Amino acid sequence: MTAALFCRDVSKSLGGRMVLSALNLEVNAGEVVSLLGASGSGKTTLLRIVAGLANPDSGVVSVAGREVWNARSVVAPEQRRIGMVFQDYALWPHMTVAKNLSFGLRSQGLNDREIDKRVSHALEVARLSALRERYPSELSGGQQQRVAIARCLAGRPSLMLFDEPLSNLDAALREDMRMEMMELVRDEGTTVLYVTHDQADAMAVSDRIAIMRAGSIAQLDTPQRIYDTPADPFVANFIGGFSLIEGQAGDGWFKPGGDDSAPLRTISHLSGNGLLVVRPEDARPRDTHPTNVLKGIVQARAFQGRCWRLSVAVGPQRLRLDWPEGPAIGSAIEFSLPPERCLILAT
Amino acid sequence: MTISQKDGALALAGGAVRASMTRSSSAGSRQFWRGALPVYLLFFVLIGLPLGLVLVQAIVPGLFNPRGMDFRLNPAALLQALASSRVAVSIVHSLQLAGAVAITATALGGAFAFLVQRCSLPWRGVIVSLPWLVFLTPSYLKALAWVLLMSPAGYLAQFGLLPPALGQAFFGLPGLVFVHTLGLFPMASFILGSALTGLGSEFEDAARVSGASPLGVWLRINGPLLAPALALSLIVIFAEVLSDFGMASTIARSSNFGVLTYGIYAAASDYPVDFPLAGSQALVLLLLVVVVVLADRLLRRQKDFRLISGRSKAARIYDLGAWRWPVAIAGLIVAVLALYGPLIAIIVRASSQTLGHGLAWDNLTTANLAQALSLGTAANAALGSSLVYAAITAVLACGTALLLAIRLEAIGGVLRPVVLGLSLGAVAVPGIVLGFGYILLWNQVPGFRDSVFPRYGDASLLVTGYVAAALPYCLIVILSAVGQLAPNLGDAARLQGVGGLGRILQITLPLVLLSVATAFLLTFIRTVFELPMSQMLIPQSGPAAPSMILKLFSHDRDGLASALALTAMVATGTIGGAAWLVLNRFAAFRRTSALPVERTAS
Repeated sequence: MTAALFCRDVSKSLGGRMVLSALNLEVNAGEVVSLLGASGSGKTTLLRIVAGLANPDSGVVSVAGREVWNARSVVAPEQRRIGMVFQDYALWPHMTVAKNLSFGLRSQGLNDREIDKRVSHALEVARLSALRERYPSELSGGQQQRVAIARCLAGRPSLMLFDEPLSNLDAALREDMRMEMMELVRDEGTTVLYVTHDQADAMAVSDRIAIMRAGSIAQLDTPQRIYDTPADPFVANFIGGFSLIEGQAGDGWFKPGGDDSAPLRTISHLSGNGLLVVRPEDARPRDTHPTNVLKGIVQARAFQGRCWRLSVAVGPQRLRLDWPEGPAIGSAIEFSLPPERCLILAT
Repeated sequence: MTISQKDGALALAGGAVRASMTRSSSAGSRQFWRGALPVYLLFFVLIGLPLGLVLVQAIVPGLFNPRGMDFRLNPAALLQALASSRVAVSIVHSLQLAGAVAITATALGGAFAFLVQRCSLPWRGVIVSLPWLVFLTPSYLKALAWVLLMSPAGYLAQFGLLPPALGQAFFGLPGLVFVHTLGLFPMASFILGSALTGLGSEFEDAARVSGASPLGVWLRINGPLLAPALALSLIVIFAEVLSDFGMASTIARSSNFGVLTYGIYAAASDYPVDFPLAGSQALVLLLLVVVVVLADRLLRRQKDFRLISGRSKAARIYDLGAWRWPVAIAGLIVAVLALYGPLIAIIVRASSQTLGHGLAWDNLTTANLAQALSLGTAANAALGSSLVYAAITAVLACGTALLLAIRLEAIGGVLRPVVLGLSLGAVAVPGIVLGFGYILLWNQVPGFRDSVFPRYGDASLLVTGYVAAALPYCLIVILSAVGQLAPNLGDAARLQGVGGLGRILQITLPLVLLSVATAFLLTFIRTVFELPMSQMLIPQSGPAAPSMILKLFSHDRDGLASALALTAMVATGTIGGAAWLVLNRFAAFRRTSALPVERTAS
């Protein structure tokens, strides 16, 4: 099957700094892939290169089997048949919702009947039919977002790009908007490349996530595998909430550095210096896994509804734990970790 | 809220500055040069080349020798000109006048801004609109009106309001300072008013809770924060007076108070024409303006502040109590002196047969206005020509500025600040110097001299000169608006398959329409009354309205001159006002639709 998007050895430097470094990425038709990374990791640059709004220094970019950028030829953005939902939605404020949708179709030379058909369908899918004569300023944030998506859908692009479309929304709205947005694109079976710096967004919307680090992809996998088995300390650090404890690893055991507890049992077989990945939700009462216990002092606590989030000092190192109670700050705490959840990463 | 030293210049266009993605491919560069080069070339030919010729001609005086071009560098003519007592006196006069007016206009404008921005005043509407109306009235019309008021047989003398000593003093430095101050205080008012508006009450609140007295707040907090605006006002007004030609060719000329701008005009226009002398004075004037612009840059780099975080609270409004009435009356007196008095003088003079008989019933006539309005008269032809020239100029200048602004926003990088800096600098270039440059370029340089369009002595060259004079500020106005547009709006259209022209016409232009219209109307109004180019490049077909008004005044036909000035003001005001109303209504929904909305759940 032809990939909906194929990037091979794409490199780009800006102001003498390497922003993308021989990056490879393949996105299958109908798949939603997120580019997740911190500011400056190159995710937006890659998105703009795919869109044609920026040119790489080298490499090949193909969309639906057609090379849109290589060293010899460039297909202009307006000819790539790519849709993009911008961070600020980029709705044309002087056009009604219907005109926002039809403007691009008219430029493509479609006849009025076809334009009307496509606009009506896109508005219907996005549940915007009643708002077709409104201006963007007369819409709520969620409605604006749906218009931006409908505008892309009306163009029937071979690939849709999302540039942090939820970053303008407050936390309470993000989840609702996210679900609504993905419902729209999933229903249409559209291929999506989604840029975000928020791991919760990426986890929720993606079939696969590409974690970006300094212009290259550190790990490309399903959300669950990235969560369960981060490829390296960078990825583990980037998936928010994980704590990393330095120590010595042996065949099936891990001894935290600077702590006199007994070694923990793990399923890893690394030897030498290592990092233990501790997910907050993995902490259990001492007696659940009595042979896998760590002791610490509570440094801080915060009530989070379903549980307390504790900051616990284990020797010289700190861990974040989810705990059913809120022990006093300064009190001692003992907890256990399931051996099968004790992942060790090489440093 | 935190304050930090500002580290960059170009504050005027600060809102327009944004980062853009670089286009690295050679294909992109080629495309850029294909699109942008003609616009830059046009900018160079319209402004760069004439100014360059003025500079070169000052140090290569044989360049345009009728007996044969001599390309040798010879500063002797420049030194000789500078050593002549007439030029030296002109320089001293220009500096004296500019220095005095910078102080007086800044003081008056600052007081006015404080009253308008920080005090609760009665008759506020009348007082607030004053600076704009004064600002839009050309200096030579204000000067001519004051001549009607202050001359020995003028209106104030007829009413017994003018002591003879005061009348004599008016035609000299004091009178020039007085009229310039009344004409230029709006600039100071705009600059300081804007600074006062941005000065939220949180600074005062913080100082007061820290124990500062009200006076201490102004001396230690507000004063230092306003100091850059104060200095900017002094600098801008100084440069404006140096470059002014309207007052120079009216009150200053009749007072025998020689200044540089009129010296350039006289050397380039009066027989025998002396290009080296004109060039020398133009060079001195340009250097003075450059020094002022550099001082402005230096000052902003070192002393300006900017807010880096927080939300500004509304400024504190002072209740003047019983003082509000005397203060409001003082504001109205300024209004009368700066606008209504001169305007009434022009109306009265336009409606009377002679100045000396004043407001006597048998002196009233409609003959002047009838002549100005009748088709076929020279005055009416001048007015008609000016309106047409102004309309063509506004279309060309705004169209070019829009294209240039879009290109500059698209490419970003080094060229953008360079061109923007040149534009800001070009705004400060005295019109008379640019006009002189046009004479040199289009009357002397082979290739340009033989050009059919535009042609020297033809209205086409005058319009070209008008466009050159208007282009820099059109560019600044439109570039500010284009810079405010989210770049994603164009990118979104591009990804929807819309081509370059489609994006300009259907995305960019509708969204910056109000700014383009503002630039259009400003250009239109300024061009109808533009004096230096009109005087330097009088077409053989007949002078434009500003030249005609001055000519009529100098030939003691001040009644017809006033009628022509009045007709021009009414025509321009009517056309401009009507256009503004229509455009404002048309663009109203766009303004509101461009406002950010609160993100709420659907």
